[in-house]
Amino acid sequence: MEHTAGRLTSSEPGLGLRPVGAIAGFLAPALIIYFAFTAYPVVRTIWNSFFQVFPNRPDEFVGWANYATLLFEDRFFHRAVGNTLVWALISPVVEIAIALLLALALYARVPGSRFFRLAWFTPVLMSYVVVGIIWTWIFNFDWGIANGMLRAVGLDHWAQAWLGHPDTALPSLIFVTTWMWAGFNMVVLLAAMHSLPSEVLEAAELDNCGWMAKLRYIVIPLVRPTILNLMVLSFVGKMRVFDLVWITTRGGPLWSTETVSTYVYKRAFNWNTFDLGYPCAIATIWFVVVLGGVLILTGLLRSRDKLEY
Amino acid sequence: MGNVKLDRLTKRYGDADAAAVDDVSLDIERGEFMVLLGPSGCGKSTTLRMIAGLEPITGGTLSIDGEVMNRVPARDRDIAMVFQSYALYPHMTVFDNLAFGLKRRGFAREEIDRRVTDAAGILGLAPYLARKPHALSGGQRQRVALGRAIVRDPKVFLFDEPLSNLDAALRVSMRNELVKLHQRLGTTMIYVTHDQVEAMSMGSRICIMQDGRVAQVGRPLDVYRHPANTFVASFLGSPQINLVESGVTPGEDGRSTLVVGGARIHAHCPPGHSRVIVGIRPEDFYLPGEAPDDAVGASLAARVLAVEALGAETVLLLDVEGVEKDVTARVGRSAHTAAGDLVELTVDTRAMRLFDAASGVALDPGSTTG
Amino acid sequence: MTTSIRFDLKHGFLVVALALYTAFAAGPFLWVASMSLRTTTEISAEPYALPDTLHFSKFAIAWTDGNYGTYFGNSVIVVLSAVAVLTVIGAMAAHCFARYRFPFRRFLYFLVFSTIIFPPQITIIALFQILVEYGLFNTRTGLVLAYVAFQLPITVYILESFFARIPSDLYDAARMDGYSEWEIFWRISLPVAMPALSTTVILNTILLWNEFLYAVVLITDDDKRTLPLGIQKYMGDQLIDIGMLATGLMIAIVPVVIVYVFFSEKLIQGMTAGAIK
Ligand SMILES: Nc1ncnc2c1ncn2[C@@H]1O[C@H](COP(=O)(O)OP(=O)(O)OP(=O)(O)O)[C@@H](O)[C@H]1O
Ligand SMILES: [Mg+2]
Repeated sequence: MEHTAGRLTSSEPGLGLRPVGAIAGFLAPALIIYFAFTAYPVVRTIWNSFFQVFPNRPDEFVGWANYATLLFEDRFFHRAVGNTLVWALISPVVEIAIALLLALALYARVPGSRFFRLAWFTPVLMSYVVVGIIWTWIFNFDWGIANGMLRAVGLDHWAQAWLGHPDTALPSLIFVTTWMWAGFNMVVLLAAMHSLPSEVLEAAELDNCGWMAKLRYIVIPLVRPTILNLMVLSFVGKMRVFDLVWITTRGGPLWSTETVSTYVYKRAFNWNTFDLGYPCAIATIWFVVVLGGVLILTGLLRSRDKLEY
Repeated sequence: MGNVKLDRLTKRYGDADAAAVDDVSLDIERGEFMVLLGPSGCGKSTTLRMIAGLEPITGGTLSIDGEVMNRVPARDRDIAMVFQSYALYPHMTVFDNLAFGLKRRGFAREEIDRRVTDAAGILGLAPYLARKPHALSGGQRQRVALGRAIVRDPKVFLFDEPLSNLDAALRVSMRNELVKLHQRLGTTMIYVTHDQVEAMSMGSRICIMQDGRVAQVGRPLDVYRHPANTFVASFLGSPQINLVESGVTPGEDGRSTLVVGGARIHAHCPPGHSRVIVGIRPEDFYLPGEAPDDAVGASLAARVLAVEALGAETVLLLDVEGVEKDVTARVGRSAHTAAGDLVELTVDTRAMRLFDAASGVALDPGSTTG
Repeated sequence: MTTSIRFDLKHGFLVVALALYTAFAAGPFLWVASMSLRTTTEISAEPYALPDTLHFSKFAIAWTDGNYGTYFGNSVIVVLSAVAVLTVIGAMAAHCFARYRFPFRRFLYFLVFSTIIFPPQITIIALFQILVEYGLFNTRTGLVLAYVAFQLPITVYILESFFARIPSDLYDAARMDGYSEWEIFWRISLPVAMPALSTTVILNTILLWNEFLYAVVLITDDDKRTLPLGIQKYMGDQLIDIGMLATGLMIAIVPVVIVYVFFSEKLIQGMTAGAIK
């Protein structure tokens, strides 16, 4: 992050030339937006979480009551946390494993790899709203292609309303996000692999190193930093997942796809409870959990690096 | 117009202990071609950038034509600068690169056109005016950078190692063109380089810097012949000057006897020194029969370690008895010597310089600075 | 001989696998594209057939009767304004972080940058309150401001790393040529950074075009809805009319596809900018 740029501005007091006005002018708009619409809302959310906030009425201080309720009593919240964690822990692994396979396939320079790359990237370009609607159709019991294919191979009894059953709804949605993000992860990994020194892989080729061994001992260790980044990105993305659930299942059936985000939304804007303090407490807790998760994730993967080298 | 005066100029970066530029005083007259010369990191660029207004001044005063400039922003100093990296605007054509500074100063279109065409004519850039920098060769880019300064017709030109990215042949020809340009424009130019050949061949005066301080200022040959200290002596000249430590025996007639290797040399040496450093430039050694008639010589026996016949001259690497370091001598092209030979060299003692053994400061009365 | 046959077999297998995955990745869109041109009756009869007559009129109907024209217009207005504001103020901030040294520079940069990982819930409830208090709730202006704040970190991040690579001599040369810091930003930084700017413009356009959560919280009027909201409403209203819904989806997808066709590499660059290290 250190650049040799901006030499104009060393810090002697009282000497001209440091363009204080210019610096302030350049930063001001962004910082105003940042403080007004990011920093202040964050602080206010945390503040709110200690109050009951009803419209047209002064806020009522409740101390840690919101937190006590949601930590010890709110079973819906516990369910939402469970679902979200499952999603956020499974997805990164599955997405990146598939992405690695795909990237390796294209790394071998098959004909048309440019086309494949462009095609596989498309799902991530679509709005979750569009994706959600398409996949409710694909999972439709009567005419969805998922069941259509099962019936075609004679597995009729497996056919079911995938998003309509508590046991299959969450896995189905995880499947959808995997479909969406595998191509994205693949593109990033492929870029990382192409930036590796090609002699390394060629040397392995000559050593008659097996495919799996090559993957395990050469490719993965070398693209580890990229994998770490992708894991964090995927984790953070799944910890906040909202649109897809809202469009497809609204958290149902029977809370089986409720996520923290949908639950916050329901408590704040959808149920007629009107209290904004309680959802703020949820958001605050979740904020802390996400930050902690990112720190742990980066810490874990970093310390493994240290052990190995 | 164009008198630049540095009075005890000092620059300290951030909270660094050592000053990058330390108490530099320099009076550059209008129309002068002043070269700042010194090894890497000695503060040449920093000095230049303070003059330009790109770097705030920590201490001292900078004045141009008698006006104090310390707090005047770069754009109001009427100075143009040519950068080592050329710093051409990559998104503009050559024409626009040249015109950019003029546009800001509100010149009329015809005037801009005229100046750009003139400068392009002088620099041979006319065919390339519509090109972008990436489509130019290194030499052409260099000319554009130069042109950008010329069109401005500033009070002072600053150059920061402008030729160091060119190949050797181009460097020599650009050197000559710059000298011609200076004669033609007559504008004050301040030129930073670490190449002593550039400094000697271009400068009307040279300012040699060491560790942020001025070591010596003077006309090229004065500085070369009368270096103020051993640093200057060894920085100028290639091959380097020979510096040999020697004992001093005071004599009666104000002349002392120096012992260099096996030889005893009589020379003027201010009293109070028992040891001095003797500086002898390689070209002040002569093989037998080569010495000019008026040379005041002492002779020195040496064994030849290596011979570099360069065509126009021959460089000998010599082992002189009683002298630890190898001695270099530059002799005529017809020298018939081979490694292992024993030779008897004549030293022109008038060209010899004496320095204080402890401080390295010149002792001989001839060494005037300024 | 044997090795080459084995190689071909392996190769053939690989190509089939790749083709299958391609069908899996892109198939759903082709399916929607085909449905968008067929009537609901046709779809009910045979969901996976190709259209036999192309009912382009469905787009006209969706545009007017389905109110998609309004939604589309709202999306265009909101996204373009947000992207314009983002590009200018993001570039200004990035230029400042990259080109000047000043107290708290690293701290401020870290502050802005770290919000990339914040879950939106941590701001959205209070943002709702704030916009209500300032009369910006349920306005496109309010949504634009929320979007600018939301995309600011990634924009600054991408641009800062680009500005930092511009040689500082270029800026010094412009200073010697007489330009002020502000003019230098507009006449040197921005033009030189065109490649990075276009990356962020395209990235922000796509992400905001698809955005749903902020829109659903901050907009309630039907005539201010953006496309994702419009589609959601349409889905709620007419769950049965699959044909028309598919047409609506297509209206949302087509601009993205057009951008992707022309700027695929730029778009991929932008989308993956945060992940590549
Ligand atoms: N922006 C800066 N911040 C801190 N120290 C600096 C900065 N720029 C230069 N210095 C230091 O100041 C001293 C002088 O640097 P300067 O660039 O003036 O040297 P120079 O004589 O031009 O060398 P060169 O021939 O390598 O260009 C060096 O020790 C350098 O490390
Ligand atoms: Mg320098």
